[in-house]
Order: sequence, then C-alpha cells, then structure tokens
Amino acid sequence: MDPAFLWRFSYNHKIHLTMLPYNFKYELRLLLRSRWIQLLSVLLLVLFGFSTYNGSTKVEKRTNDISSAKKEVEETDQAMLKLLDSVERGMEVSASPWTIPTSPMAVGNYHPRVAAMEPKPMAFVSTGQADLFTHYVKPTVSGDDFALNFTEMTSPVQLLFGSFDLAFVIVYLLPLLIIAFTYNVLSSEKEQGSLRLLASQPISVRKWVFQKLILRFFWLSILVTLSLYIVFLVVGIQALDWLSVLSLLGLTLCYMLFWFALAFLVNLFVDSSAKNAVSLIMLWVIFVLLTPSVLNQTASTLYPMPSRTILISEMREHKAEATKKQDEILDNFLRDHPEYAINDSTQSRNFYHRYMASQKIVKEELEPIVGEYEDQLQKQQEWSRKLQWLSPAIVVQESLNQLAGTSTADYENYRRQVIEFAETWRTHLITFLYNNATFSQQDYASLPQFTYSNNTNNNVGFSSVVLLLIAAALLIFGFAVQGRSEKKGMLSH
Amino acid sequence: MIVKAFIKESKELWRDGRVRVAFAIVTILLGIAVWISARQYQHINEQYQNAKSAERAIWDDQGEKNPHSAAHYGTYAFKPKYPLSLVDQGVDKYVGTSIFLTAHNRNEAQFSAAADQTGLARFGDLTPDFILLFIIPLLIILLAYNSFTKEREMGTLTLLKSQGITPWKWAIGKWSALFFPVLIATIVLFVIAGIVLSNLKDFGVFRWQSLFILSLVYIGYYIIFLNIVLFISLKAKKSGIALVLSLSVWILACLAVPKAASNIAESKHPYPTRQEFAANVLKDKQNGLDGHNPWSKESKMLEQQVLAEHGVDSLHKLPFNFDAYRMQKGEEHEAEIYAKHYKYLKEQYSKQSGLYQSLAIISPYLPTRFLSMAIARTDYSAHWDFSDAAEDYRIATQKFLNDNFAQNSSYGEWDYRANANFWGKLPEFSYNPQELNAILTTNASSLWILGAWILLSFGAFLITTKSI
Repeated sequence: MDPAFLWRFSYNHKIHLTMLPYNFKYELRLLLRSRWIQLLSVLLLVLFGFSTYNGSTKVEKRTNDISSAKKEVEETDQAMLKLLDSVERGMEVSASPWTIPTSPMAVGNYHPRVAAMEPKPMAFVSTGQADLFTHYVKPTVSGDDFALNFTEMTSPVQLLFGSFDLAFVIVYLLPLLIIAFTYNVLSSEKEQGSLRLLASQPISVRKWVFQKLILRFFWLSILVTLSLYIVFLVVGIQALDWLSVLSLLGLTLCYMLFWFALAFLVNLFVDSSAKNAVSLIMLWVIFVLLTPSVLNQTASTLYPMPSRTILISEMREHKAEATKKQDEILDNFLRDHPEYAINDSTQSRNFYHRYMASQKIVKEELEPIVGEYEDQLQKQQEWSRKLQWLSPAIVVQESLNQLAGTSTADYENYRRQVIEFAETWRTHLITFLYNNATFSQQDYASLPQFTYSNNTNNNVGFSSVVLLLIAAALLIFGFAVQGRSEKKGMLSH
Repeated sequence: MIVKAFIKESKELWRDGRVRVAFAIVTILLGIAVWISARQYQHINEQYQNAKSAERAIWDDQGEKNPHSAAHYGTYAFKPKYPLSLVDQGVDKYVGTSIFLTAHNRNEAQFSAAADQTGLARFGDLTPDFILLFIIPLLIILLAYNSFTKEREMGTLTLLKSQGITPWKWAIGKWSALFFPVLIATIVLFVIAGIVLSNLKDFGVFRWQSLFILSLVYIGYYIIFLNIVLFISLKAKKSGIALVLSLSVWILACLAVPKAASNIAESKHPYPTRQEFAANVLKDKQNGLDGHNPWSKESKMLEQQVLAEHGVDSLHKLPFNFDAYRMQKGEEHEAEIYAKHYKYLKEQYSKQSGLYQSLAIISPYLPTRFLSMAIARTDYSAHWDFSDAAEDYRIATQKFLNDNFAQNSSYGEWDYRANANFWGKLPEFSYNPQELNAILTTNASSLWILGAWILLSFGAFLITTKSI
C-alpha cells in the first residue's frame, strides 16, 4: 500500500479523534447557551408527565371497574348461597320463581362470572384499542356468544380524537421535536457564512454533520431517558416491569435514531433551513399520517368485512328455523349427547331443555359465518403486519400497543378466551339441566372461573433491531452518496 | 396597492414549482379519498336497503304467533348513511349501525366499523375530511410561512419601505393572493362533491344548502389558519423559525388539543362501563313493575287499581286481557327507566362537549370539526337522534302488539295467536334526520367561536402589519 496514503489516513484519523471531544464540549455549550437543552427538558417533562398521567388514570379506572364488578359478584353470590340455604332447608323464599338458584339455568343467567382482562403493567403506555373494547363481560348460559358486546360504552368523539398517551408523544411528537432540533445543523452555518471556515478544517463536511447530529442524538437520548425516569417516579407507576421499561426505552431510542438519520440525509442533500424543515415535515406527514391511513384503507378494501347486517339476517333466519323444529332438535341433541342426561331418571323436559339445544344448533350453524369475520380480520392484520415496515411510526405504535397489551391481537385473544369460557360455563350448567339435577350449595365451589392469560409473543426487540438497521442503512447511504458528490464542491451552491 | 401586491404574489406563487407540486399532490389525494368514500357510501347504502327489506320480510312472515312472542322476537332498525358523510365521515366509524328492537329492553346500536378493523384504523382514514381538516391547513402553512420573512431575508423589505408603501394594504394584497388559490380549490372541491352526490342513486336527504354552509365553515377555518401563519411570518425573524412555529400551532390545534381534550373530558365526566350501565338499569327495573311477574307488590297494586276503575271484582270480568295490559304497563315503566339512564349519558356528554367548546379557545380545529360533523349528520348528536327515534318506534311497536293481545284475548289466555296478516299492519320504521336550521341552532356556539376566531386572528394580523 502507498505509504503516503497510510500516513494521511492515520493523520486524518488522529485529527478526528482529537476533534471529537472538542466538538462534544463545543456542542454542549452551544446547546446550553441557546437554551435548547433547557427548553427540551421542560417540554419532555411536560409531555411525558401529562401523557403518563393520562395513561395511568385510564388504567386505574380499568382496574377499579374490574374489581368493583368482581366485588358485586361476590356480594350477589353470598345472597345466592343464603337463598340456596333457605330453599334447601325448606323455607319459603320471596324471590321470583325463575330466579331461584336451585335451577342451574338461574345460576347460569343471573349469577354469571366476571370474565375480566386485567391490565398489563405497561398498559399506561398506550391506549391502543383499550378505549374501544370492554375489559370485562359476564357471559350467561342462554346468551349468544357472537352477540356478546365487546365494545365499551365510550363517547365516539373520544374515540375519534384518540388519547394523549405516551405512545402519541413518542410516535407523533418526538419526531417533530427532533426535526426542530436538527433541521438547520448545516444550513445555519451556510446562512451565517461560517461554513467556509468549517470547510478549511481537516474534517469532511459529512463527518462534521454526522458528529454534530450524533452528539445531539446523545443529549436528547439522555434527556428522554431521564425525563421518562423522573415521570415514572413521580406518577408512581406500581409494579413496573423493568424489562418492559428497558424495551420501551430501546424502542424509543431506535425510533429517534431513525429520525436523526433522516435529518442527516436532509441536511446533506437539501440546502436552506426552510427547505430542510419543509422536507422533514413532508417526511413526517408521509410516515406518520399518510402511510397508516392508506394502508388501513387498502387493508379494508382488499379484505372487506362482510356486512354485519347480513349476519343479523342469517342469524334471524336460523333462529326462526330452529324455533319451529325445537322438539326434533332436542331429540337429536340428546341422541348425540347422551352424556348430558346420564343420571336423569325423570326424563321431564321444559322450555330450557329445548332452548339450550336449539341455541347450540344455531351456534354451530352460524360458526362458518362468524368465522368469516375473524378470518378477514386476521387477514387484515397479517397484511398490516407485513406492510408496517413502510412506516416506522406504525412499527413503533404497534410495538407499544403490544407492550401495553392493548393491540388488536390482545383483544382478539381476550375475546377467544371469553368465548371458550362461555362454553365451559354453559357445558358445566347444561349437565345439571339435562340430568334434571338441582344446583346446591356444594356445587358452588366447583363453578368454573375465568382467568385471562396474556399474549406472550411480542416482537418489540425485533422491531427495535430492524429500526436500528434502517437508521444505520440511511446513515451509510448518506456517507456513500454524499462522499461522491462532495468532490463537486459543497460550497459552490 | 392591494391589487398590485395581489398580482405580484399570485404570479410568484404560480411560478413556484413546489406550490404546483403541492397542489397537485393534495388534489390527487383528495380525488382518491372522494372516490373511496363514494364507493363505500354506495356499498353501505346497498347493504342498508337489502337488510332493511330482508328484516321487514322476516317480520311480516312470522305466521300465527302470540304478539308478545313476536315482541321478544323483535325487529331491527338500521341506520342509513347520509350523503354528506361523503365529505365528513365524523364519528360514523365508531358508532353502531343497527339497533335490535325488542320487548323490555332498549339495546345499544351494535357493530361499529372500527371494532371490525385493525389497530391501523386508529391512525385515521384517507377520507376527504382528513384532507380538509389536516392537510389543507398544512398546505396553507407551506404556502405562507415565508411571506414576510423572505422580504426581510432577501432585503426587499428595505426597498419596499423606501417606496413608501402602506403596510396594511400591502399585507392585504399578500393575504388575498394566498387565499385565492385555497378558495378556488375549496369551491371546486365542494362543487365536485355536490355533483357526485346528486348523481348517486338514492341520495336521500342531500341538499345543496347544507353543502354550501359546510364549504363556508371550511373557508372560515382556512382564513383562520392563513391569518395565524401570516401573523407568525410577520413576527418571526427567519423563515425557518416561522415555519417551525406555524407547524407547532398546527400540531397543537389539530392533534394535541383534541386528544388532550378527550382525556380531560373522560376523566372529568366519565361514562359508566357497559356492564355498570346494564347493572344500574337492572336495579331500577327490579324496584318497579315487571310485566312478567304477576306476584310482585307493584303488580298487585296495579290489579287493585284496575279492578276499582272498572268496578269489577275479578280480573276475568275485565273487558280486556289483564296479562297484556300489565305487560304494557311494565313496558311503559321500563321505557321510563331507560329514558332516565340515557338522559344521564346525554348529560355527561353535554358536559363533555362544554369542555370541548371551552378548549376551542386554543384550537380552531375543534369548532370546525364539530360543525362539519353536525352539518354532515355524522356527529354524535345525529346518532343520538337516530337511536332516540328507534326507541320511540320500539315503544310504539310494543304498544301496538300489547294492545292487540289485550283486546283479542281474555285473562290467562297465553295461547292466543294473532293472525298471520297482523304483522304487516305495523307501520314501517322511517327516520328523517334533523333539518339544517335545527342543526345550526343547536351548534350556534360553535359558529360563534369560529366567527370570533376569524375576527380576532384577522385583527391580530392587521395590527401587526403596523410594525413592519
């Protein structure tokens, strides 16, 4: 190798190394004097504080709602046991005859269990779909599974505007702060005329911009970490799962690095401060606003949901049909399920025997139609999972939802578990019904209970790594392409 | 002076390649949005027509049946899509579209579109209202942020001053040059929307008048944004800073304040959860008359009262079926309970909307959004109006069925069957959305706030021109 080249290489290298601490100090002083650091700290604290507070009040309400529902069930259970006790002792009771809990159907309909979806420790991070869906339902024996209403009673205006949560600050606002913090790194030097001075230094312009941006990234990362830490301490989120906090932080930093990388490119390739800002804002609009809405629109055009009104008509027809053939259905049902009536000696049949048998038939007949909705939703989700990489904003929002346990997949998972539980509940009590057995105090303890198990697969780590790679690729691209065009002269235009 | 400034600025804008590109992009986006919405609109309306007639056929073909069985069997009220939802989808996506009308219960509208979509839906849709409310203000910012700062940066300001210009006339010239393309674009857009709408089949309640008022609201919104951006451009020293400041205003007004408002509204005036609501209704129902329970205290009281009124000593001697009569009384009682609980929800919401209105002081987006949804009949109160109409129809239906039961059978005759042709006599459910005038009256405060924004922002802008 040419010794002259080697010498120059090591010389340049040394200068860069000595430049770094100098730049580091200079940059910090500059940021402090221009009050950027102070302004950013206050802004970050306010934004993180307000959003975390909002998130945690929502979670608190959710927990309270669930525990008061459970408490209420406990109270009515006590009343039920008392009533059972009186009936078993042959005393006269004042309740309406069809609500007396010796009948298994009365237990199944008037004393349902709470099937609740407890919040994950990080639920405050992102509202996700939490304002749209309910967090507890009480499935009854005679209710239709697909008619269980999983949507929450919320003002639709609230759903339209969305929530000011931590995810909103990270996904929407943090990039804008970065844009305001970086759009004129190079152009302001040009506009103030100090670029010529800089060009005379033994460091290439792209390296200089890179150093400057990386230092700003470093300071912003410190500010973000510290203010998140302070906010979490002050708001006092309990039982924080530190691994999740670390993944939240990692994801946020990778997303920030992505925007810094974009700012790096824009600083290199566009010239004036105002044009830089316009370009960066355009990128923001494309990534944060346009891509998600276009993707959503195409997802629902490619995999349209079948009309719910058609589902209603189908359900009504099947039900009408089943009502007409109730007796026949019951006979077939008992032939198919002899296990239900194994200990029944009376063979007496009433309304509920027929009704529950027909319900089962209707449910089985409607399964393919109901399944269609789930399939289409699955397909839409699959599609958006694949194409989310078009916009890091979607990736981050989805990852935060997963971290918070408020993504669409989480609610799907909950819905599946509830429907499974409803089936368990029904089967448990139907066995009493077809055996013509009464429900007694001893049977109380063996009533099925619902416990929600969280979705365990989350790919926050994977998303962070991919974001990091995208950011690195952008930075390398900037170095490579600008390196070529540099020879033409940075100062000429 | 005004005219000269106008002509000069317009030429400059027209020659600027970026302006043309930006306009082209916005036009293309809007075209796509309108096309998608029109398709959806047609599709949904078709489904609505089909579902409506299918449901009616099911109701009519019930055959011989006890009227109360038919009441439990129930029927559905479907919500139509209104023509102006083509322009503003409002909260349509978040409210249900069908209400199950049945005995004893007022059911909530079911099946909102948002519940059937992925999390992506929460980012927003590519609909005309998204472009009108978010993107066009952004376009205004891009057109106008450097209007005054560039004169300062290029040094032309000194030149102009030496010419002895009247600052406010010059500013008005600039203002109108910037406003003109936005105005033309808005008018063209709304005329196209009107033509598309009048050419769609079954366009229902579409009126040009509503569309006209809607376009005025948006034009007012754009005037406010233009004023703010120009005000900032006058005050700022550099174009870059003017741009960043204007964008901050945009973010604050269109994204941050609405979201913060929704959080504050929820924590201050919360709704009960669906389960709590149902439990509260149930509690009230248990304390009152239950049409199915002849043994309760309230039933006995009603019995005594009716017997006394007719001067007979046995329910069998009454000229009507007392079972059905009690059922109807129970129904009326339950309807009152529902009215009470829904009234509470409405009160909570009206408190919430008071909060939205007070926050409209820092965000012109809020009054615009609410007015736009209201005029398009896609706001929350349009939904209330529909669900109340459905409830009225449900109550009337119950009376129709119970009356038939009461008049054509005697006490204890539960095996009574109404004729197969009886069901067809039930009048069909028909719903007419509120008239434009009524909507404008109920939303008068939003109109006032929007007007105040226009005047104040104009005032601030014009006063600042003095300091040039």
